[in-house]
Amino acid sequence: MGTLEKLEALRGGDLSPVENLERILRKVEEMNGKLNAFLQLNPRAREEAEEVERRIRRGEGGRLSGLTVAVKSNINVRGLKATCASRVLEDYVSTYDAEVISRIRREGGVIVGMTNMDEFACGSSGETSAFGPTQNPSAPGYIPGGSSSGSAAAVAAGLCDLALGTDTGGSIRNPASHCGVAGLKPTYGLVPRHGLIDLGMSLDQIGPLAPDVHGLALLLEVIAGENPREGMMLGVQRVSFPNLEEGVRGMKVGVCPQFSSLTDPRINGLVEEKVEVLRELGARVEEVSLPHLEHALSAYYLIVSVEFFSATRRYDGRKYGKRIEEACGEEVLRRIAIGSYISRKEYRDRYYQRALQLRTLIRKELFSAFQRVEVLVGPTVPKLPHRLGEKLSPLEMYAYDYLTVPANLAGICAGVVKAGEVGGIPVGIQVQGPPLAEEKVLRVMRALEESGCR
Amino acid sequence: MQVKIGFEVHLQLKTERKLYCDCPTNYAEVPPNTNICPICTGMPGAKPMKPNRAAVEAAVEISLMLGCRVRTGEPLYILRKHYDYPDLPSGYQRTSVPLAVQGELEGVRIREVHLEEDPGQYDPVSGAVNFNRSGIPLVEIVTEPDLRSPEEARRFLRLLTRVLEYTGKVRPEAGGAMRADVNVSLEGGGRVEVKNINSVKGVYRALKFELQRQAERLRRGEVVRRETRAYLESQMVTVPMRTKELEEDYRYFPDPDLPPLLLDEGWVEEIRGRMAEPPHLRERRLVERYGISQAAARVITSEKELADLFERVAGEVNPLLAADWFRTKLKKVLNFLGLRAKEVSFSPEQLVSLLKMVESGRISREQGELVLRELVKKGEDPERILARLGLLPLEEEELGELVRRVMEENVKAVRDYLEGREEALNFLTGRVMGASRGRADPRVVVRLLREKLEERRARGTEPGEG
Repeated sequence: MGTLEKLEALRGGDLSPVENLERILRKVEEMNGKLNAFLQLNPRAREEAEEVERRIRRGEGGRLSGLTVAVKSNINVRGLKATCASRVLEDYVSTYDAEVISRIRREGGVIVGMTNMDEFACGSSGETSAFGPTQNPSAPGYIPGGSSSGSAAAVAAGLCDLALGTDTGGSIRNPASHCGVAGLKPTYGLVPRHGLIDLGMSLDQIGPLAPDVHGLALLLEVIAGENPREGMMLGVQRVSFPNLEEGVRGMKVGVCPQFSSLTDPRINGLVEEKVEVLRELGARVEEVSLPHLEHALSAYYLIVSVEFFSATRRYDGRKYGKRIEEACGEEVLRRIAIGSYISRKEYRDRYYQRALQLRTLIRKELFSAFQRVEVLVGPTVPKLPHRLGEKLSPLEMYAYDYLTVPANLAGICAGVVKAGEVGGIPVGIQVQGPPLAEEKVLRVMRALEESGCR
Repeated sequence: MQVKIGFEVHLQLKTERKLYCDCPTNYAEVPPNTNICPICTGMPGAKPMKPNRAAVEAAVEISLMLGCRVRTGEPLYILRKHYDYPDLPSGYQRTSVPLAVQGELEGVRIREVHLEEDPGQYDPVSGAVNFNRSGIPLVEIVTEPDLRSPEEARRFLRLLTRVLEYTGKVRPEAGGAMRADVNVSLEGGGRVEVKNINSVKGVYRALKFELQRQAERLRRGEVVRRETRAYLESQMVTVPMRTKELEEDYRYFPDPDLPPLLLDEGWVEEIRGRMAEPPHLRERRLVERYGISQAAARVITSEKELADLFERVAGEVNPLLAADWFRTKLKKVLNFLGLRAKEVSFSPEQLVSLLKMVESGRISREQGELVLRELVKKGEDPERILARLGLLPLEEEELGELVRRVMEENVKAVRDYLEGREEALNFLTGRVMGASRGRADPRVVVRLLREKLEERRARGTEPGEG
């Protein structure tokens, strides 16, 4: 059953929110021990579902009307633990709802629980969690990707209807690709960040993960839009996507040789097939060049480390019990150390300033590409996921992010939908669009989804 | 030896709300940790709101009062200044790049003005932190090293405080709202920065100590190192700060959670249009316009409301008389009662009517002063005060009657006078004054007495025989 059909059933009374929740919770009980997708379940979920049931009877079910939502553990949900999958915050119970959570509640969403993730979202495999890695339900034995590993796995295994992830350098799109679900990183400043625990503040965005593109669009409609109480919003009041079925006829779709040159040929093969599908559906495919693309990764890691260093100064051992440098894992510590080093006065110009210049260059390059084409289509992750437990060097690990970080650096939107499988492992195709082009990106994703997988 | 002194002065701005959240700012009046929210306590995930416009406006107004050029039309970033201290909930303090530059106050150049947020309050003894103060807006004013002595420095700080009070946008200095870092150097020595001074008096003492210390070293042929020292209020000395505190690198970078400020030229001009006339300029203008003394103008402009009151009054009565009354009497009464000019309850019209009574000679200066005291205390109409105190001046007829009676009752004194003993007149005057219970003007009494006595002499009548 697709998201929209389920929503119909909930609204029409054929499926009650409590029944829906119970089915979901039975699956969680059955599978979470193995998947490790959830770190904490919401003890009030049933009450919340009952409340939504009463609301539906009054005709006030809201846009979500009892759909269940899993929340990444770096988003504050009052009364639940926002641990960021770290020992540093293992006892931190949120004192407030993030703005996106308030919006989900208002629209009748039921919070299932808090999902596993890479520690403080530092990672692309789901393995840096202090509470153990998440399994990939779609490709057992392989990493689910990260950092929104638990949210992607929960969606893939049907342990929730929709999920919130966060994306700083690909953390929604990467696990969506590996788990074979749909995910979208919204334009920077479209979705409120109040309540999202920082990784890189100039890059972070909360976004939806869902089993299908309609689910993605629905959750984005609920969480997106101006929050006058924070500083970096774009001022867009609300978004709605009524035209996802309109197809791609006449749309100018860009492909980029720099994408494929960095990518595993088997993944390229799947992407090319999908580009062919778009061409057959009437899209005009054009090649655009992004010569500085491969510098994005180094710029990204410098910027994210400086911002992360700053964001973690509050974990000084006084308020949250543990000093981060003493309680965190290796990858978190590495980024703090890099951030601390390159933000020093004497190195500022050499690293951080240069990274910012590169960021400007990459943004310009992407923006000028979007003068010529409406969306860019390409691979999400340049290589197939490794087996859980396999040791990778930090640089090998960072290489997963080559194709996802440019969207964060440029602040544009980018979504991922399943393109096919390589040896049983899902592979997602990435659709990127200019700022606030979510509608077009979702439309292309919907066309790709409808064309089916091989 | 050439002395160079410069300041970094921090003052809290008087706003209803904190700088980056909606919490109220009355931090001292409420129980610890009650005026707080996820933002000002730096809870994980909390994002700042855009800077409080009232605070930005206050900083701009202060900049304009100090003759600064406000940096309109360019992005002004809010930076994160990182350091580790228990009162700083996020591990960084937000501070703006200079919002305004190149000002001047009475010959001292103002380098720049910043907008900052206050940290919480940490009590090292109990180890408790109170975050009520966290996020209160601060203005930081940085001067060039243009001051030449502790006395000049003290005078400058008083001038500066007066300017800031004029805006009505800073919290009163009482309660330790002013904090200053001072840099001081002697010719031939390194520049020394003294931190953590909390009052004008403290600045003066720290400078006195520091200059003596530096001069002594130089006299002995020793080097004065460039360093940062802390002022210890209790001992009135400065001591070197620990090296760790000196090596601190704040790792400034623009806060990614906040857009840069963009100050609009039109808005700044609007603020300039409605801001108060800066006190140092007003002082000069009062001297020129009303011909009053510099000393009187200084007293009158010590408070904006006092100067406002003066200008209302000076249009109605002789400005010189008014200035004299403001300087020698009104300010004295206010100080005695511990009142500020903005707290008085009487109206300018009431003061005008009092001064007119004095100006016309209807009441004496002494009586005027009695009335003034009551006026300041109760804000009552001067006429009614006169009546209530029984000070209504006697009509000349009544006074004539009193004089006649006193002369009858003091035959000997009258005779003495008529025999040429002038001092008898003083005695009689005192009697009349006593009988009038102070309601008579002694000058008038003397005049009347003399008239009557001379009349008697002319008639040649012996007293008691007529």
